[in-house]
Amino acid sequence: MTERPPRLRGMRWALAALAVAIVPHLPFVPAWISLLLVAALAWRGTADMLGWPLPPRWLRVAMLTAATLAVLATYGTLNGIEAGTSFLALMAGVKLLETRNSRDLTVLVFIAWFLLYAALLRDQRVAQLPWLLASTVLTTAALMRVHAGAAGDAWPDVLRRTAALLAQALPLAAALFLLFPRLPGPFWGIQTSESARTGLSDEMTPGDVSDLSASGEVAFRVRFATAMPPPAARYWRGPVLHEFDGRSWRRPRGQTFPAQGVRFAGAPVDYQITLEPHARHWVLALDLPAAWPQREATQSYDFTLLSPRAINDVTAYVLRSYTKYTAGTVLPLSLRHKDLSLPASGNPRAVALGRALAARNADPQGVVRDMLQMFRSQPFVYTMQPPRLADDAVDEFLFSTRRGFCEHYASAFTLVMRAAGIPARVVTGYQGGDFNPYGGYLIVRQSDAHAWSEVWIDGRGWLRVDPTAAVAPERIEKGLIDAVGEDEPVPGRLREASALWAQVALGWDTVNDFWNQRIVRFNADSQFDLLERLGIREPDWRSLGLGLAASLAVFFVALSAYLGWKFRGPTRDWPARLHEITIRRLRKRGLRPGPIEGPVAFLDRAAAACPDLATRIRDIRNLYVALRYGPSPTLADLRRLKYLVNGLRP
Amino acid sequence: MLKLARTLRSYATARARSWIRQRQGPDRDPVELTRHRLYILPTRLGLAYAAMLFAMLLGGMNYNNNLGLALTFLLVSLGLVTMHHCHGTLRGLTLRLLATDSAFVGQAVKFRLLMENPSAVARPRIELSVDGAVTSIVDVPAGASAEAEIAIAATRRGRVSLSRFEVATRHPLGLFRAWAVVHADYSAVAWPRPAQRSRIPPSVETDTGGAQDRARGEADFAGLRPYQAGDSLHRIAWKAYARGLGLHTKQYAGTDVVSHIFDWDSLEGLDTEARLSQLCRWVLDAHERDEAYGLRLPGRLIDANVGSAHRNRCLSSLALFDTGDIDD
Repeated sequence: MTERPPRLRGMRWALAALAVAIVPHLPFVPAWISLLLVAALAWRGTADMLGWPLPPRWLRVAMLTAATLAVLATYGTLNGIEAGTSFLALMAGVKLLETRNSRDLTVLVFIAWFLLYAALLRDQRVAQLPWLLASTVLTTAALMRVHAGAAGDAWPDVLRRTAALLAQALPLAAALFLLFPRLPGPFWGIQTSESARTGLSDEMTPGDVSDLSASGEVAFRVRFATAMPPPAARYWRGPVLHEFDGRSWRRPRGQTFPAQGVRFAGAPVDYQITLEPHARHWVLALDLPAAWPQREATQSYDFTLLSPRAINDVTAYVLRSYTKYTAGTVLPLSLRHKDLSLPASGNPRAVALGRALAARNADPQGVVRDMLQMFRSQPFVYTMQPPRLADDAVDEFLFSTRRGFCEHYASAFTLVMRAAGIPARVVTGYQGGDFNPYGGYLIVRQSDAHAWSEVWIDGRGWLRVDPTAAVAPERIEKGLIDAVGEDEPVPGRLREASALWAQVALGWDTVNDFWNQRIVRFNADSQFDLLERLGIREPDWRSLGLGLAASLAVFFVALSAYLGWKFRGPTRDWPARLHEITIRRLRKRGLRPGPIEGPVAFLDRAAAACPDLATRIRDIRNLYVALRYGPSPTLADLRRLKYLVNGLRP
Repeated sequence: MLKLARTLRSYATARARSWIRQRQGPDRDPVELTRHRLYILPTRLGLAYAAMLFAMLLGGMNYNNNLGLALTFLLVSLGLVTMHHCHGTLRGLTLRLLATDSAFVGQAVKFRLLMENPSAVARPRIELSVDGAVTSIVDVPAGASAEAEIAIAATRRGRVSLSRFEVATRHPLGLFRAWAVVHADYSAVAWPRPAQRSRIPPSVETDTGGAQDRARGEADFAGLRPYQAGDSLHRIAWKAYARGLGLHTKQYAGTDVVSHIFDWDSLEGLDTEARLSQLCRWVLDAHERDEAYGLRLPGRLIDANVGSAHRNRCLSSLALFDTGDIDD
């Protein structure tokens, strides 16, 4: 049995709302779900226009079952943002096939709202705002179109009314946002997002960092409380890699080593670092961190700061670092062993080179010097587009291609040091950063991603050695753009080329930073700050509650007053009112209009009865008639009538 | 369990009704919907909306997601705004009874109401309902009025009274329903269902009295008199009208003025309702033929006459016969 659905009010609006709400999810849900939803939307739109019948019930049930099973098979759950979004999108698709009344349409509208919400859970960037606004208006308009009257059906009218409702809702929404108590921490387990984010990884294969460097996305922003260190000292420490298999470097998993003491020297650097979400645990910090919030981060044995939770939201840390330090006095045996281990086979020439350098130099620092000298003197090229390397990657790079990015140099250098008997490891992170004068902070982008080495020298601890600096000192001093050839895909070339564009980009970044600091990271502390600035001393939860109650009251009163004004009755009928005053005044002379006596007859009688006022009364009569029944009543006449009536003193 | 819930529900409804009745007292036409008599509650959709927002709030707090919370708060605020709009849409509306349309049993009597909107804003989707059943939905334009009707099926003859109805709206998003209860004192009459045309009316009495002028015979043309509302179309002097003399009714005089008196007692052997139905049929037929007729019911006599008003008077007296209601 097939049924012919009636045309529904608001169907197109609901379709449009769904279509817009799904857009930001498209890159994250599996392609087949997107395709199904788009197909369902297109089919329903066409069916609505041409009056096609709805599919039979058994088909819909079958599709619903298949959709649920497919999501379960893909994710193993219906919970979490990814699976939940996919499931919602599929539900919307199936619901479209059976939408036959306004309740079904309402369900679609609710799904659209949930999709909107899920997109915000995934991504809170300021660039989302236009879409968010459009989507909210469309979804609300769809609900209004389904439920409101037929009056004002034209789409600009619907949009206008929706926008008016939302605009009226804004003040209270803002008050709720500012004053609704923010409780710290999650109350129950959070399903970590599996979606890949750009950023460092705990594995480094030649080509990884150069790929990352092709992205202009912001990695983090830094506000310095003390003087900003010079570019050459801006090494931002990320994950440290110890294990090498001849090609890739890895962070050891589930293995830990004794912590090593650090002695700091020189002036401290105090700063706040605001990380963009990267879905990993490490907290980037200026080399070498000395103080951090104990509950929000811990330090690993290789001096990297780690957050107990994956960083899935914009997160800020207040840190202290020293750029001068002695890291470690004694190297634990287990770690020495780890950082000396070589792959069982492979890269024979590099290993041989290391051994030869060790044989030539008694002093490990001499080995380091010689190796760096080799990079400097031989025709090594620093490039983002190195040739692909085969199995013995380090050998091939050192002795034949000689073209590479920082990971090639760090990898080769570290391997040679280990072969020379010097404990060494690869440190990944970022180097440099752009200062934003508008916001007064340093922007560090993915294009600043970097890799360098640390070697252990007895008596001096872990020393940072950056072989890239030997090959391309501009990379450290100025940045990537100046270090590589002009035809290489460095992001930000446009910034470099056009001063105007550079200003615009910095301005836009300031907006993003403001958004992150004020909106995305708004929390209980910000709330108390706000209350204190409003003049409330020692604000607590109670002041928040009071503030909320007060704003609700103000909102209700203001809205009632506004609506009372909007729905007010007709404005006062001034001629009639002035006539009433005339009657009241004439009462002094004992004149009262009879039960069936109209204004004209009454005033004529009054004029006859009071000869002293006759002229004025007749003028009043004429003006009243002109204003009431005349073809074109004027404001001047009304003013004159008012004047005459006010001057009537019987 | 379900039965218990239903019992509780009907009990609560009854209590609420009597409370509202006591609070407001009876209404007099016209009824202005002031804020003192407006009630507002979330609809089922509104409750679902609230549940959705609660889920969003919990999620936003759990994930510490400020943008999610911002959306939630915007929607919370939107809900409260629509609550005010819903209330405002009803407030200040004035209801006036235009007319009541009587009908025969088996048809529906109608109460036609005029909704007046004095404000410069339209009031869409105003619904009228009786005992929970929506009888009409109208949009009242800005600064104008709209007509709406409440139709009630007449199941038995006699007075059909409309003592309580609701005016409501769910504008603009359907999240809230604002309503006002009107305890009206409106009534219409349900006439008896006319019997089949099977029984011939009793023999014609020839009037010989002085009613000749009024009860018009068929024989001799006696002149024209100005048209009065209720005169039969058959007797209008169309030729005179065509000459531009205005509407006139032809009058006849003569000895064979036909005037029926339909007598209750002539229908022996039938029960009360059947007699009333039969009398109703005769009245209708006589009216159709423009004959003068009267009614004789136990304890009541309606003199022979013609016209729509007379017909309605006769039908009403049949409808209200023996019901205890007073015929007006």
